[in-house]
Amino acid sequence: MKTLNCTGIVKKFGNNEVLHGVDLTLEKGKIYGLIGRNGAGKTTLLSIASGQNPATKGEVTVSNSDDIAVQPMKVWDNQDALDLICFSREINVTAGNQGIGGLKVKDYLRAARTYFPNYDKELEDRLVKEFELDVKKRMSKLSKGMLSMVTIIVALASRAPYTFFDEPVAGLDVVARETFYKIALEEFAESERTFVISTHIIEEAADIFEEVIFLDKGQVILKENTQELVERVVHVSGKEEEVDAICEGRKVYHVEKIGRSKAATVMLEPGEELKNTADITVQPMNLQQIFVAMCGKEA
Amino acid sequence: MNEILSKEKSIYIQISEMIENDILRDILLEEEKVPSTNDLAKIYTINPATAAKGVNILVDSGVLYKKRGIGMFVSAGAKKLIMKRRKAEFYENYVRAIVEEAKNLGMTKEDLIKMIDEAN
Repeated sequence: MKTLNCTGIVKKFGNNEVLHGVDLTLEKGKIYGLIGRNGAGKTTLLSIASGQNPATKGEVTVSNSDDIAVQPMKVWDNQDALDLICFSREINVTAGNQGIGGLKVKDYLRAARTYFPNYDKELEDRLVKEFELDVKKRMSKLSKGMLSMVTIIVALASRAPYTFFDEPVAGLDVVARETFYKIALEEFAESERTFVISTHIIEEAADIFEEVIFLDKGQVILKENTQELVERVVHVSGKEEEVDAICEGRKVYHVEKIGRSKAATVMLEPGEELKNTADITVQPMNLQQIFVAMCGKEA
Repeated sequence: MNEILSKEKSIYIQISEMIENDILRDILLEEEKVPSTNDLAKIYTINPATAAKGVNILVDSGVLYKKRGIGMFVSAGAKKLIMKRRKAEFYENYVRAIVEEAKNLGMTKEDLIKMIDEAN
């Protein structure tokens, strides 16, 4: 199987443990949405999964062969494995012309090109045009949205089989975000690449994720097919006893009570359907509402 | 294929309904090729797997058929098939509900038929 596997990933910064034994399998040819609150550990997880950071404990392996006799490769400190992965981080540019800030965009892109064996310069040129990015500008002169465009261009043009986008749409205006989703889908359709996209703008990207991964406080709490998840999780409200009866024996995520009325976020069995009755109302929820119910603070 | 996706229903169901609507409106003709799942994915910015799920519903119900290596095509008789199924659904989802509510309101069958006549 062509997969990238994280097994028991623990990451500590000093005494602060930010990932608590994450197991995650990414299959080839899927688009994953990585969703988590600020500080949940998304960037740390992606940087470890891409071999840019060492894990305190645990292992990341990647396999690019369907032959089961071929052993998966360890990612850490292994160039053959690293060649398969691109993690396009958010670029932080300090004011002034030191470091990356002093580079012109085209020089930054030229440097990026050397890191990825499959880098596609033509695709880069096309994306630069599509985003109307001025490559003669210095990085320090770019807005937050323009810096996001640069990371998107590198990630897509890398043509790496496993490509991780870290909040690619942060700071992009709505038209540029649409452009990104369309181009990403186009590139995805033409290749067999795996994309992991972390984002806080959940709803507009929900439909492009085949699967979603919820990361909460350093743990993967859910990894599901997006459409199936949205079909299975419902908001049930009404008379307390009736709502309790439905919650009984089911996975319940978030409960609210107002007087005699009660509301709960409930996960149904696959294929199960719950209908409105005189005493309860059953409503569908979107991905964002499901995320808040699962990862928000308890009321 | 120019409708907008809403949040009311599952995306793949909307995809299959949109293709059906286009067939009913003669936008897509019988024996004509329908857009590929990758085209649909791009048009609606959705995952190709979701688009494929919507298309496969129509393959399973016989509205579309697959030509290996070429793509999906509208079956001969697709329009009739869709109308037949939709009529059955119309009966289940609407007509029954109307009759039920008419009963709740103490209306007779004649009252209901008169009402339908007026609306027509």
